[in-house]
This record gives sequence, structure tokens and C-alpha cells, in this order.
Amino acid sequence: MKTMFIISCFLVVVSLGSVCSAHETAATDNAAQTVPALKPGDKGTAIYDGEYEFMPPPSPWELIRGGEGSDFVFGFYRKDPGKLQLESTFFAFSDEPYGYSKDIEQRADEFLKRFFWSSHVKMKVVDRKKTTVLGAEGLVLVLEGKDAIKGTKVRSKVILGKRGDRVVAFYINQWRASDSKFDQAAFDTFDRFAGSFRFLKKSFYETL
Amino acid sequence: MEGHQRNLYLYDRFDTQVVGVSRDDVITLQYWAKDLGITFPLLSNVSGWLGVLYDVQPGDQPFFNRRTMIIDKKGIIRYVRDGSPDYKDILAFLKKLNREEGQP
Repeated sequence: MKTMFIISCFLVVVSLGSVCSAHETAATDNAAQTVPALKPGDKGTAIYDGEYEFMPPPSPWELIRGGEGSDFVFGFYRKDPGKLQLESTFFAFSDEPYGYSKDIEQRADEFLKRFFWSSHVKMKVVDRKKTTVLGAEGLVLVLEGKDAIKGTKVRSKVILGKRGDRVVAFYINQWRASDSKFDQAAFDTFDRFAGSFRFLKKSFYETL
Repeated sequence: MEGHQRNLYLYDRFDTQVVGVSRDDVITLQYWAKDLGITFPLLSNVSGWLGVLYDVQPGDQPFFNRRTMIIDKKGIIRYVRDGSPDYKDILAFLKKLNREEGQP
């Protein structure tokens, strides 16, 4: 017999919709919230909130802090030139990526079920391979999708790794008009960000 | 819901059972539980009386407001938060309650 109960009241449809749509709108909703939370680290790195150290992207990338209900801790946004307003790139670190499993392969499948769930874009995994992330087992996924109605396309890269016994993620989404080219340089910037990432202290869960 | 599922092993550590309550019918909840991989109990309360009891039932609407409550072993509501669950806040509170009750 458990000694305590958590009762969570909800409307299933609304709660699902709100959570999933947050992912797609996060960059837009938070684009105006530039928070000067970065401090310089050693060798050109930056430190966010005294907890995360990494190689920051060069200007004009804009720091975006994940707010309450957001699916990421912080990220960087860049408006890209192009004929459509949505042509942009956003990458982020998430300590609570979609899904719930502690096994990375299983978590990836859960993550993909929700990633872009609220959009009209059918994402296709074009590459999936094991790699080392944060010094331990990890997984890299590359996805692409098109929205034929809006005339847009998106390329994403998702990197899943472990912090303690929990799965964390880095991801990048780049939106373009269907007839525009993706910008590989932005993905290289993202790779430097994720590859240099380290934790300066234990997570909330590791100290619980 | 996914956040609760993610934290089930931590709720176990604090001797806690999570229960979801909704006005959706059983078949709908079964579908969502299967689709999302939810393994904790989801209670269907189509008539809404539980919502009235816990003050989350808007007068003329067929759904509950979102609210998270923690009830201790004596049946006392110790924690109430409206809106989306703040999972870290919930876990920190459970840790505190667990310590109060003198459990490891």
C-alpha cells in the first residue's frame, strides 16, 4: 500500500495538444525573450546558468531560454534569409525529451512518435546511428520532412544521450521553402555545441 | 502524463502512487494510455463528481481544469497546484513529505 497519492486531473485531449504543440511553437514564442544568462567559460566556451558549458554559436544566433512548460532548457535561434518568414534554424538542449524510457533506443522511438506530432509534416528518419554522447552511449537521428501544402521542408537532427540514468537530448530544426537549400554550416555549429557540452554540477534528479 | 510516466521510478522511491483523473470515457483513456505507454491508473469520471469534490469542475463545461494534488497517508491534501504539473516541484515536495514521515 503506497503511503501517498498524486492525483492529476486533466482533460486528455487538451493536455496532449498543449504539450505537443509547445515543441513546434517554442522557438517562435520565446524568440523575443533574450535572457543574458550566458557567462564566458574557458577556451571560448560559454556557461549557461552556472550548470552547462559548451561552445556557443557565433552571432547572430540568439539565446532562447526555455520557459515553463517548454520542452527545452535553452537553445539558440537564427532567422535565416529566404522568401518565407519561417526560414530559420533553432537548436536546443532538453533535459526532458519526449518519451519516458531510460533506454536510449526505446526512448528514440518514443521521441519520434511525438516529434513534429502537431505539425502537418511527415518526418522520415534518413539516418540513425549509435555514437558517443556526453562520454557515454548515445544515438543520432537525422530526419527530414515536407509540407506540400505550405511549400516548406524541414531537416532535423536529434542527439540522445544520458545524464545520470536519465535521457537528455540535443536537437536542431531548420525550416526552408521547398525549393531552398539547407544550410549545413548551421548543423556544424550545432554539432560543435552538442559535442562540447558538459555539465558543471549534478542534475536535480541526481541529487534527489 | 508523460512526465509522470518518466518519474514512476522516483515516485516508487518516495512510496507514492500517481493516479490520473479525467472526464473522458474508459475507451478513450484506454486508447491514450496505450498510445502513450502510460502504465499508471487513469480514472474515468464521466459524471464529473470527483471534479466537484476536488474543485476542478467548471460549472458548465464537460471537462476538468488541470490540477495536481498530493494526498498523504492520513488522507490530507498536502499539495495543490493548478495548470501543467511542475514535475521537479512535485518530486521535491514528495522528498520532503517522505522525510517528514521518517522513511528511508
